[in-house]
Order: sequence, then C-alpha cells, then structure tokens
Amino acid sequence: MSGDPRVRIEGVSHRYGAVAALEDVSLDIADGEFVTLLGPSGCGKTTLLRIVAGFERPSAGRVLLAGEDVTGRPAHKRATNMVFQRPTLFPHLDVFANVAFGLQVAGVGKADQRARVREALELVRLEGYERRRSHELSGGQMQRIALARALVNRPKVLLLDEPLSALDLKIRLDMEVELRRVHRETGATFVYVTHDQREAMALSDRIAVMNAGRIEQIGAPTDVYRRPTSVFAAQFVGDANVLPVDVVEAGDEESTVQLGDTRHQVRCPRPQPGPAWLVLRPEAVEMRAGTPEETPGTLQGIVRDVAFRGTGFGCRIELPALGAQVKAEGRGATPPFDVDDEVGIDWRPESCWLLPRERGDDTPPPPVTSEPESDPAQARA
Amino acid sequence: MSAVAEPPAASPARAPAPRERGLRLGPVLLTLPAALTLLLFLIAPLAAFAVYSFLTGSLYEVSGPLTLENYREIAQSELNRKLARNSLIVGLLAAVSSVVIALPIAYWLRYTTSRAKTLVLFLIVASFLASYLVRIYAWRTILGAEGVINSGLGALGIVDEPLTFLVFNRFAVTLALVHIYLPYVILVIYAGLGPLQPAYLEAAQDLGAGWVQRWRRVVLPAVAAPVGSALLFVFVLSAADYVTPQFLGGTASVMIGVQVQVAFQGTGDYAGGAAISFALLAGFLVCYGLVALGLRLARLDRLRFAS
Amino acid sequence: MSPGRFTGLVTVAGMLFLWLPLLVVVLFSLHTTASLSFPFDGFSLRWYERISESPEVRAAARNSLVVATSTALVTLVLATLAAYGMSRSRSRWRAPLSLLFFLPITLPGLFIGIALLIAFSRLEYSLSLVTVTVAHLVYVFPFFFLLARAALERLDPALEEAAADLGATGWTIFRRVTLPQVWPVLVGAACLAFALSFDEFIITFFVVGPDPTLPLFIWSSLRRTIDPSINAISTLLLAFTVLLFVVTFALTSWGERRRRGTVDPLVLTGAQEPR
Repeated sequence: MSGDPRVRIEGVSHRYGAVAALEDVSLDIADGEFVTLLGPSGCGKTTLLRIVAGFERPSAGRVLLAGEDVTGRPAHKRATNMVFQRPTLFPHLDVFANVAFGLQVAGVGKADQRARVREALELVRLEGYERRRSHELSGGQMQRIALARALVNRPKVLLLDEPLSALDLKIRLDMEVELRRVHRETGATFVYVTHDQREAMALSDRIAVMNAGRIEQIGAPTDVYRRPTSVFAAQFVGDANVLPVDVVEAGDEESTVQLGDTRHQVRCPRPQPGPAWLVLRPEAVEMRAGTPEETPGTLQGIVRDVAFRGTGFGCRIELPALGAQVKAEGRGATPPFDVDDEVGIDWRPESCWLLPRERGDDTPPPPVTSEPESDPAQARA
Repeated sequence: MSAVAEPPAASPARAPAPRERGLRLGPVLLTLPAALTLLLFLIAPLAAFAVYSFLTGSLYEVSGPLTLENYREIAQSELNRKLARNSLIVGLLAAVSSVVIALPIAYWLRYTTSRAKTLVLFLIVASFLASYLVRIYAWRTILGAEGVINSGLGALGIVDEPLTFLVFNRFAVTLALVHIYLPYVILVIYAGLGPLQPAYLEAAQDLGAGWVQRWRRVVLPAVAAPVGSALLFVFVLSAADYVTPQFLGGTASVMIGVQVQVAFQGTGDYAGGAAISFALLAGFLVCYGLVALGLRLARLDRLRFAS
Repeated sequence: MSPGRFTGLVTVAGMLFLWLPLLVVVLFSLHTTASLSFPFDGFSLRWYERISESPEVRAAARNSLVVATSTALVTLVLATLAAYGMSRSRSRWRAPLSLLFFLPITLPGLFIGIALLIAFSRLEYSLSLVTVTVAHLVYVFPFFFLLARAALERLDPALEEAAADLGATGWTIFRRVTLPQVWPVLVGAACLAFALSFDEFIITFFVVGPDPTLPLFIWSSLRRTIDPSINAISTLLLAFTVLLFVVTFALTSWGERRRRGTVDPLVLTGAQEPR
C-alpha cells in the first residue's frame, strides 16, 4: 500500500533474560530516508537493528516492511540487507563469489550475476576486483565489498551496524562521503547505527537518539543539535555546557534567567518559571578579557586549559563562584587567552536553550562515554 | 598458532657472545632427545619392517636375498583382494558415518548458548578416554544373541527369537568403530568451527540463505580441511583394525589387519605380513595425498577468518 | 546463530550412543548372577570382591601403573623439551621434525606394534614391561607434544624477552618465567599420557612379555569365560581414567583461570588461540 512507511517499528520491546534492552520503541521510516540510531553502547540500537533485520524476535511489538508484518519472518526471508560491523567476507570465496552470494542463493543466472556484480563494484568504486581474495584487501576495501554484497541484491532497506567503527579515522571520513553518494545513487532506505554523533550528523536525514532502550528524541540533525529535548541528548549529540539556572521572568519571546549573581537573556519561548538547565554549546560561549569590574554582567571565570586544534582552539574555564566548569571554542590561529587569565563569560540570547530541571538537582549528569556497541548475542558466541 | 617473535639480535651496545643468550641460539637442539627416541624406536623399526617385506619369511624368521615375491603374492591373492575390499568398505563406512553424526553435534557445541555445553564437552572428552577394549567388550555383550538388546527385547516380549543380525557382521564392526572414533571427530570439527564466527552465518542468512544453503555454501567449506583429516584418520585406523573384526566381525567380515596379525603371531610369515602392511601403508599414503591435493585445488586448505 | 532443535536432538542421541554401552558394562558389573543379559537379578558387589582377591588382577594393575607412570614421566621430559625447542625456534628443521613428532598418531597401532616387535626380535631383546613402555612412549608422544606446544605458543614472548634483557639465561628463563605459566597444562598432559598408556591395547598386544597390563589381562580373560568380573575390571579401568581426566580438567581450568580469568574449552585443549 503506497501510504505505508518503508519501515514501521511498532511498540517493540525486547528482553535478554532479566535485562530490558528495548522498551516500547516506535519509529516510522520513510522510503529513501537515511535514519540513524544514535546512542551509547548498551542503549539498544544494535538490538533494534537486528530485530528489523530478522536476527532477533522482539519480546513484544511488531515490525512492518512496506505495510507487511514481518515480525515472525526469519532474516533470510526479508527484503532487507545488512552491512555488519566487521566485513565478514567469506574467506573461501573470491570477491565475485562474495558479492554474488545473495544472487546465487536466489538462483540468478550467470550472465545476470556478472552484470550485477560489476554494477555493484562500480557503485563502491572497486571495479576489476572480482578475482581478489579477502586477505588481499584493506579494511576499508573489505567494508566496501561488504556494502556491494548487500546492495547487489537491490534491497529496499539497507541496514548498517556501525560499519565504520573498525576503520581508521581518515578512511572513515572518506567512507562517509562514499556512503552519502551511494545513498543518493541508489535511493534505498538506509537505517544506520552508530555511537559517533559526528558521523550521525554528517550522514543522516533524521537522527533517533537512544538511551537505555528508549528513543529520547527524533529529528533532523540541526534540530537535535540546536533544540535537544533532554540533557542526555544535549550532551550526547555534540559537546554541551549544562548549567543550572533559575527562570525569573518567563516571556513570550525572551526570558530572563538567574545564574549566580548575574542575570541573562535567553530566547526560549514560554519556559516554566523556576529551576531549569541552560544548554550552551562551546562555540556559543563568548569570552571577554578582564577583571570583574571591566566586564560587568558576565560570569567570572579563570582559564584553566587552552588547547590548539588546528582550525581553532578550545578552552576550559573555571567559574569559581558557581563551582562549575565551562568549555569554550573559538576560531582563530592564536588562542587569545592563556592559562590563569581572568575572563568574563557571556552569550547571545538566541545561542542557548533551556531544559526542565528538578528543584535541588544542581549537578548535571556526567556525559556518557560512547564505545562501539558489542552485540550481546555476538558476545556470547 | 601465532608466530613467536624472534628476540632482537644482539644490539651493538651490548654485543653478548651467542652463548650468553642461552637457549636462544639453538632451541631446536632441545628437540634432539625426543627426535632421537622417535628415530630409534619408530623410524628404524619401520625401516626394518620395510626391509622385511623384501625378504623371504618362514617360521618367525626372515632370510634370503631381496625379492619382490611377497608383493607378487599379495597382488595375485584372491583372499587378500577380498580382505582389502572389505577393509575398504568398513573403513569408508566408519569414516563417513562418524563425520555425518559428528557434524550436527559439533555445530550445536559451537553455536549453542546453553549451559549444557560444558557438560556435553565433558562427556565427549571423558568418553574419549574409555579404553578401546572396554568398548569392544561392551558392544559384544550388547549385540550378542544373549546380549543386552536381545534379552531386553525378549523380556519385554517384543521378539520371540534373538536377532542374530546384530553381531558378527560388518554392521557390528562399523558400529563399534564409529563408537571409538566419534569423540575424536566431534572435537576436530568443533575446533575447525572455532574461527567461523556467528556473524558469517548471519551474513549468509541475511543474503537469503536458509539452513541448507548456509551449510552448503559456508559451513562445509569452512570445515572442509578438518573434515578431510578426520575422514582420513578414521578410515586409516578402521581399515587397519585387527581386534574389532575378530571380536565382532565373525567369519564373513575378516579384514586385512587380521591377516597381518595372523602372519606375525600365527604362521610366522614375517615377510609376507610386512609386505601386506606396506602395501596398506602405500595405499594410505595415496589417500592422504589425494585428500591434500583436493583441498589445495579447491583452495579450502588454509582459510583465514577475520577475528 | 542459535542451533536449531535438530542439532540439539542429534547431540542428545550422540551422548546416549557414546555412554549407554559403557553404562551397561558398569551396570552388569554389579549383577548378582553371572549372566550378562536381562532380566536384571539384583545388585551385588561379589565381582569386585572376586577381582580384588585375584592376584593376577592385582599384578596386571600394578604392571599397568608402572608402565603408565614411566611413560608419563619420560614423555613429560622429552615432549616438553621438544615443544619448547620447536616453539622458540625458526630453524628449517621445524617442518620435518613436526612430521616426525606427529607420525605415531597417523599410523595404525598395528604398524607401530609390529615394527617394534621386529626391532626387538632383531636386537634379541626379550619382551617385557620395558618394551611395553617404549611402545607407549612412541604412541603417547604426539598427544603430549600437541598440548605442550599449543600452551607454549600461547605465552607472551615479551615476558621471556624481558627476562633475557634482565640478564637471565636459557634454563633460568625456562624455570622462572615459562614453567610457572604452563605447568598446569603440562601436568594435565602428563595425566592424559598416563591415561592413554593405561588404556592402550592395540600396540601393547604385540610387544607385551610375560607380564600383562590390565587391558591385556582383560583380553586373555575374554578368551576364557565371559562373566561380570570382566565388567568389574572394565568399570574400574573406566572410573580410574575418567577420574584422572576430571583432575586434569580441574587443574588446567585453574591454570587458565589464573592466567586469563576465563575458561574456554577450545583453548584448554590447545585447539584454538585465545581471543
């Protein structure tokens, strides 16, 4: 039915023994979209992907592909294909036989196989590699062959489980460009899993931020970045300074918050009066040199660390009056501050965001460290 | 097996004499005692054994000039051909049966997440240690006309007459041989499946392969080498067996190993026995060669799986 | 990739197939009557009493113990040295030596037994427990060598290099760095060697002298009468070797756990590299 989304995940929950990996997750993915499931290890993103692929059966809920309920269908009967974290090319077959594997299983004729394999290899820019063996290929090449092996079957939905996490940084950046191009050229629906928020923002049409088995926020990368709906999302997607403030005046367009001794304007419509979290991205922090007298209305701080980063610099500033630390970033070849300099911190009203806070909750949770998620089922084997 | 990194050569700053590095210099010398022992007590006797086959034997002695007479007799002997054929059949049956039974068991062991896995492994390795003779004896008492099966069936009233087809035939011999070698074959194939991570099977399944296709295209090629070596191992040891056919085989299924044993301890024809043995050995070598060649040609002999 | 129900069923059937015959032997060793068929008349320990009183059984058991112990000890020394030498060397002799060391496994016992028989008769050395021990040595060697070499190759070479850098020479390195890490596996392999020697029949048949080992004794008993006393001896033989295995397994597990914190059966048997 043409109105159905390409992938619909409906109320999916999953438990491994006593552990709840997914709790009532629902998501619709449109045809041709590039959606990323982003989160730290253990958040359930890989489990969800494997449920869509058909390797796990959810404890509750349904999975529909183009309107058809496939929840009970095993992986080899679904019109999805997956690219795994490790290339898993079959070592006893050459590149041609690897890429043609799905075609051979489906009984496609030899001539068709050759044509389609060539097409797939061209797509990943590895023409002529048919006779090579997997041990002759580099990590990046192997993943591209794995991609070709999946795409040669012309799946409507391509599932990718952290395919770049095992590659070196430079190769990863190149592969991101390749992936975007392949997505454009094939028009297939991509469902991507990663813990790397930078990758997620670079690749996706929409990002689903996941935490502890639930989707915390879904939206376009800019939305998730500029308007996080939770402290977790704020800290996981990009770097964030999260400061406890009190809303003293709630206006329609601008509001006023109190932070220590100073008051600041925030462009955030109709917040609740009372305690709130102020989310401030490092690049939005403005630093003014000088003593408190020279910089009225700013938060007083002392520079504790300065790091040069090629394209700019990063600073860590301690705010002794508040007992907090703030990260700042700026452009420019030479950082304008040294360690132990006194500075005043400020920001523009439109460069920050407010989130609800419980009274008495003064310390933001520490940012979650993210590592490639090892799938529990794999780890057991 | 990981290659052991060679220790760095003596650095110019310290330049110790080679002796100072002790074992580093000639570690291979440590193998000398073992090598000499085996040369003395295996290779030399086998060489003598080979020479015997070219002499003339009579009454526990050998004598005379070198001759090919023994081999000519073997080639012409009707009896030997019959025995060889029987041994070949039993060997093949035992080998193929062991492998066919072992494959699903090894697969289960490799990919199960059940806690029973340790128990099953324990059972397999423990049964590996049961003495050969105890097993033969066990099957004899079970399959015999007054054995466990027959008396059990009789007591339950299922049969009136004992089933005589159970023992003293090729079936009984093969059954006992499979019982003996099955644990080894399971362990060899289980070890062979080690590098085949579940991700490969999932990848195959994702590409549309049901279990038949997965076995045909991924599992079997992955274990082709271990399966080949297991087949050879069971075939060679079964074909040359001389105790099992005597105990469980009856008169119709004598095997060639028995002939050899009789030659050495019965008639005393050392030279003839030696000739049969070496003809057998030559046959086995040909089999080893064929299997190795086959694996090499199919490029299944040295697969490297990504970790 | 969870295995399906079919493979699970075959596994259960396989385990039954392997163990039921052995358990039948055990069962009838406790039979009150001399019959080896159903119906089962009741339990009794008379056969065990009979064999424990028999001087021949005791002598055969003692012979087996002597042979197995000697085999295990000599193999321990020879094979450990050989495995250590092979694993620390890059010599081009490694390939032919490997072939030599694994040769006994590939040869049917018939050949090894007869070859040794010929050798001893040529040298006019009369058959005795010594000749049996020699034969067992040859037979058991590849098993021990395999386990020892696997364990030695799994060790981190950096540890020995560090010791050498600190001035230790060969024997010291072996004693203070290598041995403390691998001794559980070596003891386990020695137990395996012991068990294999204790059970051995096919080769022993040809080189045994006037003093029989326990399996040989069982064989000659079979020639006389078949009664449950044979079951009793067989059960004891079985129980002894299985017990030995349990001890071996516990020892090598403990050794692995000390080293790595987890136990992987494949790694224990030397069949696979730890991940």
